[in-house]
Amino acid sequence: MAIKRLVFLLLLGYALHVPAQAKSTAAATAGTSPIPDTTSAINSSAPLSQRVVAYDIQAKYDAKSHTLDGRELLTYHNLTGQPLDHFPFHLYLNAFQPTSTFVREAKASGTRDERLGKWKPEFWGADEIKSFEVVGMGDLTSKLHFIQPDDDNVDDKTVAEVVLPNAIPPGEFVQFKIAFHDQFPETVARTGYKRDFVLGGQWFPKVGVWWQGAWNCHQFHATTEFFADFGVYDVKLTVPQYEVMGATGVEVSSVNNSDGTKTVAYHAEDVHDFAWTVGPRFKVGEDSYSGVMGPIKLHILMQPAHWSQEARHARILKESLDRFERWYGPYPYKTLTLVDPEPGSAAGGMEYPTFITGETTWWMPNGLYFPEQVVEHEFGHQYWYGMVATNEFEDAWMDEGINSYTEVKVLDSILGRDTSVLNLFGATAGDRQLQRYEYIEVADLDPISRKAWQYATFGSYGSVTYGKTASVLLTLESVIGEDTMQKAMHVYFMRYRFTHPTPEDFLKTIEEVSGKNLRWYFNPAVYGTQVLDYEVLGLDSWPANWYEKDAKEKKGETIYDSVVMIHRKEDFIFPVAVEVRFDDGEKLREHWDGQDRWVKFTYRRKAKVESAEVDPDHQIQLDRNNFNNSRTAVPKPSPARKLANYWQFASQLLAQCLTWWLV
Amino acid sequence: MNEHGNLIASGFAIVRRHRRYVVWFWLLNLALAFLGVAGHGNHVHPILDHSMYADKLLHGFDAAVYLELFARPEMGPERASTAPAVHFAFLFVLLTLLFLPGVLLAYSGEGRLPREEFFRACGRNLWRLIRLTLLFAIIAVPVVGGSFSLHHALVKAAEKSTNELLPFYMMIATLGLIALVMTFLRIWFDLAQLDIVVRDQNMVRKSVAGAWRYSWRFPGRLLGSYIVIAVAACFVPVIGVWVWHVVLPPANVVGAFVVSQAILIVLLWMRFWQRASAAAFYMRAMFVAPVASPPAPVLSPPLSPATPPPGTLPPREQNGIPEI
Repeated sequence: MAIKRLVFLLLLGYALHVPAQAKSTAAATAGTSPIPDTTSAINSSAPLSQRVVAYDIQAKYDAKSHTLDGRELLTYHNLTGQPLDHFPFHLYLNAFQPTSTFVREAKASGTRDERLGKWKPEFWGADEIKSFEVVGMGDLTSKLHFIQPDDDNVDDKTVAEVVLPNAIPPGEFVQFKIAFHDQFPETVARTGYKRDFVLGGQWFPKVGVWWQGAWNCHQFHATTEFFADFGVYDVKLTVPQYEVMGATGVEVSSVNNSDGTKTVAYHAEDVHDFAWTVGPRFKVGEDSYSGVMGPIKLHILMQPAHWSQEARHARILKESLDRFERWYGPYPYKTLTLVDPEPGSAAGGMEYPTFITGETTWWMPNGLYFPEQVVEHEFGHQYWYGMVATNEFEDAWMDEGINSYTEVKVLDSILGRDTSVLNLFGATAGDRQLQRYEYIEVADLDPISRKAWQYATFGSYGSVTYGKTASVLLTLESVIGEDTMQKAMHVYFMRYRFTHPTPEDFLKTIEEVSGKNLRWYFNPAVYGTQVLDYEVLGLDSWPANWYEKDAKEKKGETIYDSVVMIHRKEDFIFPVAVEVRFDDGEKLREHWDGQDRWVKFTYRRKAKVESAEVDPDHQIQLDRNNFNNSRTAVPKPSPARKLANYWQFASQLLAQCLTWWLV
Repeated sequence: MNEHGNLIASGFAIVRRHRRYVVWFWLLNLALAFLGVAGHGNHVHPILDHSMYADKLLHGFDAAVYLELFARPEMGPERASTAPAVHFAFLFVLLTLLFLPGVLLAYSGEGRLPREEFFRACGRNLWRLIRLTLLFAIIAVPVVGGSFSLHHALVKAAEKSTNELLPFYMMIATLGLIALVMTFLRIWFDLAQLDIVVRDQNMVRKSVAGAWRYSWRFPGRLLGSYIVIAVAACFVPVIGVWVWHVVLPPANVVGAFVVSQAILIVLLWMRFWQRASAAAFYMRAMFVAPVASPPAPVLSPPLSPATPPPGTLPPREQNGIPEI
C-alpha cells in the first residue's frame, strides 16, 4: 500500500512538473524577438557577423555625481548547440573597489597606466544591478551571485552569474531585463571621469562568451582587457545639453529635453562593445574617408588646447585606414570616432569598436610622433580586437602583439623606418627598434602565449605581449618573406573577421600561406622563452707566409689566411646570414643553420678581413644584443667618444649649475 | 648708462681683465668631469669600438640604440655611470669654494693679484666661506623648500582647472618667483663673501648682516644686473646646442667637443660676470676704505689691490649708506 501511494505521488509530481517546465521554456522562447539583421551602420547589405547578442540600453548620466542609471534589454541567441541554464555577466566597474582582484594586482605591480600607490575615495567605481528579470521566468535578482573563476578572492565582484530555472534550448533566444546603477571612478584605467570629462567604457552588465565549449567570463584583472560576442547595439543616452558627445556606431537622433538634458540615440552593428564619451569643451573635427566598402565618417573630438593638432590626428587616421585596407582588408563600418581625452586622465590609448582614444599634450612638437603612434595603434585594434575578436584575457598577444606588429609596418610606411617615433633635433627613433627594446630586458621571463593576468610582472606583460610579439612577427618576415607575411595577415583577417580565433588559427594560417612548417620557429618564439643572441666571436687575418723571414706585406698582392668565428650564445636556434667584408671591397655572404654552438669560416685570399656581420639585412628583431652582431678588425672609437662627450658636457653642466646656486 | 648698466659693464670689464680665472675654473671643471665620466667611457668603449651597430650613434643619434646600450648588462647599473659624475660635480663645488676668495680679492682690486696673495686669500678665507655656506644652507633650505612646497601646491591646484595650460603658466610663474628669491639670496651671500674676503672679516655674521642691509635697501640694483646676465646665460646653451646639432655634422666628434666646451666656458663666464658685478657694487656701495693707516695684519697684506686708488673711491657713507 505504501509502495502504491509512493508511486502515485511520483506520477502526480511528474504530471505537474512537465507541463510547468514546458510552459516556462515556451515563455522564454515566445517572449523574445529575433536579433535585428539591419545594416544601417555598416557599408554592407548583409550582416557581417553571427549576431549573438542585441543590447537595447536606455541610460541617463548625471554629470555632477558621475553616476548613471540604465535599463538594459539584452537578447541572447543560443548558438552553442546545447541547452544553457546559467549565464555569467561582466560587471567591470566593480573592479574599482579596494578589495577587488584588479586593485590587488594593480597595487602589487601596477596597471597599464599607473601603479596604485594610495587608494583615493574618488577611485571607487561600481556597477550595481538593481533588478534582473528574465522574460518569461520572472524576477531573478535574488538568484544573482558573484563568482570568481580566476582566483579565490571572494571580494571580487566583477563577474555575476545567474542560474535560470529552465534551460534555454539550442537555437532559441532569451531576454534579460536589467536595471543598473553605475558609479564611474576617477579614471584609474580605461574608464571613468576626469574633471568634467567622462569615458563610458565597460559600463553596462555584459554577458560572457560561450567559447570552446564553456562560458568564458573572466574577472577583470589589472592587465587584462575584454572579450565579448558580436551583435547589435541600440543605446539612448541622456546627458546635459551642453555636453559634446561621441560614441560607438552611428548617431541616429538627438532630442533636447525640457529639463536641460538631451537624449542621443546610437546604433551599432556587428560590434562587441559600446563606449561613449562626453565633455563640454571638445572641439569636433569632421572628416571622411572613401573606404573600399563605402564612405566612412571620421569624428575627431579634440581638447581645445590640442586643436592645432587636429590635422595630425586626421592625417594618421586616414593614412592608417589606407594601409590597413590595402594590406589586410576592408573597414566595413560607416563611422570612426577618435577622442582626445582629458589630459591627465588614464583614458588615453584605448580601443572600442569604431571608437578610439588617442593621447597628446598641448606642447607636442612635430617631430615627436607619439600621438601618431597611439592613434595608429588604437585604430589597428579595429582589426585586431574589433573585427578579429580574439580573447583578450587569455591571448593578449593576439590583439596587442599582432597590432604592435602592424603598427610597426604602418608607421614605417608613413613616417620612415628609423624615424617613425622620433625625428627631432638630430635625434631619431623607429617604432620597430623601440618594440624590440621593450622586450630585450625581459626576453626570457614569459612566453607570449601566457594568459594576460599570469605574467610575472606587469612590465613583463607589456614588454612581451607588445614588444616581443611584434619582434617575433618581424623576424618571421626574414623566414617567409615580407610579401608572404603580408598575404598571410590578409588571409588571416579575411578568414577570421567577426569570429573569435585561437592562437593556432593564426599560426596555422601563416604556415598554410607560406607553405612551410614553422613549428621550429613558433615553439620557441611563441610558446617558449628561449633567447636569441648571435655574436661575431672573433675575426683575424695574417699573411699566409708569416713564417718567412723578411716577408713584407703588400696590399693586393700578399695572400692572407683569415678566420671569422660566429657564436650562438643562447638557446634559440635560428638560421642566419653572415656578411664578411674584405679590405679590397669584396663582400661574401655565408649562411649558417645555427644548429651547432659556433661556426668558423676560413679564407685564403689577397685581402684581409675587414669586418663580419650576422644578419646584415637587419631583419632578426629577436636578437637580444645587436652590438655583438658585427665586428670590425680595426676599432673605431668615434661613437664611444661621441657619447663620452655628451656625458662630459652633462657632467660639467651639472657641476656648474650646482656651483651657480650653492657657492 | 644707468646704474644697472654701469654694474653690468663694470662687471664685464672686471671679468675680462681677470679672464684667466675663468679659464682656470673651466679647466678644473673639464678635468673633474673627465674623471667623473671615465668609468662610463670604460664601459662604452668595449661595446661600441668594434661594433658596426654603433654607426647608428655616430652618424646621427638613434635614441633606441642609445637606450639599448644602457640596457646591456656590461654597462652595469645606471648609477655606475651617473654616481661618479655627480661626486666629481660636488668636488668642483668644493674646489670653487676653496679658490673663490682669491678671485673675489682680485675682482675687488684694480691690478693683477700676485699668486701668493691669491693663494693666501684662499687659505685664510676657506673656513670662513665654509661657515658662510653653512649659514646660507640654514637660510636657503627652508626658504627654497617652502617656496617649492608652495609651488607644488599651486600647480596642483591649477591642475584641477579645466584650462589645460593653467598648470603650465602657474609652474612658469612660480618657478620664476623662486628663481627671483634664490637670486636675491645669492646676491646677499655673494656680497657677504666679498665682505669677508675684502675686509678680511673673521666675523661671518657681521658680513652676513651688512650684506643683508645692502641687499635689502638696494634690491633692484644688483638684482637687475644678475637677472640680465642670467637671461643672457639662458640663451647660451640654446644657441650652442643649435649650432651643435644643426651646423655640425653628427659624426664630427671634435667639433662637438669644441662647441660643447665653448658653451660651458661662456656659462662659466656668466657666473663670474655676476660675481664681478657684485664686486663692483660692493666697492662702490659697501666698502669703507680705512681712513687712518691701520696696523698691518699679521698674516695678510692690507689688501692694497682691493682698495680703490685715490679719486675713484665712492662718496663716503651718509648715515651708513653711501650714495651711488
